[in-house]
Amino acid sequence: MFLLRRGLALAGPSFLLIAALGFVPLGVILVWSFWSWDPASYWIKPDLSLAAYAAIGEAGRWSVLVSSFAKAFLAAVLCLVIAYPAALAIHFVARPKWALVLMAAFTVPFFTSYLIRAFSWRLVLGRTGLFNTWLMALGITDEPLDWLLFSDFALMVGLVASYLPFAVFPLLLSLRRVEPNLLAASQDLGAGFVRTLFTVIIPLTKPGIFAGFLFVFVMAAGSSTEVQMLGGAGASMISIMIADVMRVVNFPLAFAISAIVLVVLFLLVLVGNAIFGFTRLFEDFK
Amino acid sequence: MTIGFERRDVRATIWILTALSLLIVYLPPLYLVGISFNPSLQPGMPSLGDISLKWYGALVNERGLLAALKESLLIATVTMVVSTLLAIFAALAYLELGRLKNGWFLFVVFPMFVPGIIQGLALSVILNRWQVVPFWGTVVMGHILWSLPFAFTVILTSMATVKRSYVLAAADLGANWWQRTTQIVLPLITPGLVGGAIFSFLLSLNEFARSSYLVGRQNTLPLLMFGKMNSGATPTIYALSGVILLVSILAVAAVMYLIARRRRALAERSVEKA
Repeated sequence: MFLLRRGLALAGPSFLLIAALGFVPLGVILVWSFWSWDPASYWIKPDLSLAAYAAIGEAGRWSVLVSSFAKAFLAAVLCLVIAYPAALAIHFVARPKWALVLMAAFTVPFFTSYLIRAFSWRLVLGRTGLFNTWLMALGITDEPLDWLLFSDFALMVGLVASYLPFAVFPLLLSLRRVEPNLLAASQDLGAGFVRTLFTVIIPLTKPGIFAGFLFVFVMAAGSSTEVQMLGGAGASMISIMIADVMRVVNFPLAFAISAIVLVVLFLLVLVGNAIFGFTRLFEDFK
Repeated sequence: MTIGFERRDVRATIWILTALSLLIVYLPPLYLVGISFNPSLQPGMPSLGDISLKWYGALVNERGLLAALKESLLIATVTMVVSTLLAIFAALAYLELGRLKNGWFLFVVFPMFVPGIIQGLALSVILNRWQVVPFWGTVVMGHILWSLPFAFTVILTSMATVKRSYVLAAADLGANWWQRTTQIVLPLITPGLVGGAIFSFLLSLNEFARSSYLVGRQNTLPLLMFGKMNSGATPTIYALSGVILLVSILAVAAVMYLIARRRRALAERSVEKA
């Protein structure tokens, strides 16, 4: 009655499309990253070479990669810290109606323009923006603060605001899988709220924590709108670096940078899934 | 639940932190919407007496914007139809795949994890090699990779309301797979299907990174807006952003309402029967 053959047939169209448009092009640029740049044709030729990978070590490109991943890491941690209370509120505290309203509120940002939302932070953080106006009105500062916008600070705020919902929902899914009996047992054994939270609830939601971390990390590491809207002039991120390399049509180098990013993200997904099993979060569908 | 979530201090702390998280997400866009009603050229909240739709009216005369909007609506519509259909098949496949389920889930969701700029670059290089001239269709190809994982997840989530026993009962009564799917499964998940479609549409309408490499001669709306935002934003940009934000929020709210209503109806029905 549940047939593997039928499953495969149903999966066929999506499989072909995702493979052809997604995996194959990525695989091809992975291979092409080992080819050489041909100045005669402005394209590449099939001479095996590690020149592109050597070039990543030049012109501070390596440090852009590392700092992009570091910023993505920080954004992911901040998102988890900020999202956890919201997930607790939805699952444990709010009445059903309010839980629904909160879930809707955290669903909306997934599907509203990331560009517009990043842009709107300019109006809040700029010299004549909302925050500087408030800070000066309250007498906290006399001059508008310049570092609020076009800085790593602005970038981090933008990333957290953009990708916060990606942390909320995995946490919520994993909270739903926490066995209420365990919480009751924890209380019967004399643990207070804080102790139950840190020794029972948080450890039990590790798959959700990892999945949330992964979603935000990946989105932030690859983000381009937030960087271009809010980042400082000197600061670069992976996406900007790739765009810059492509402007001088250095294909192998752009492919090599992409390859490293893809391998890091792919390993994260696979290793994380093996350790934390975050596909289990979606296993209720039977 | 009685492990401390009923304590007043715990509840207050959680609610305050939740309110702060919502503020981070909503304060700037709402401020932008506020500014869009200010008739003055300087960005700032309008006083109550000054509220005006001046910049919204000015939108109608922006030919470039309208052309980009038309292009984006076309791309979003095609993306919506293709993504939703594929997501339905992919989700039905998930039900049948047994041990391959997890692998299938990861496979379909994976394109979501690929940074847009890398996916866009890879696809555009390949299409270029195949002599495909970029047009709205190439943008659609990139957008499907972005919207399909979301549509798939939404539809899969709504399938949680379909109990295995319903399908088994239908099979016992002699329904074949086609009948079980069209008469039991799909009607039960209509809110999820509507959600998957609307979400795909919105994701495509607002997509930026992939489009930048795949776009043809006619810019999409986000690409055009990006240019305008960086070359001294005029207040019409605030108005346009305001329209897009409001439409998106209303659409998502409608979907959430539909899904919640269906859940409640199903819950009530099973209570009645018990």
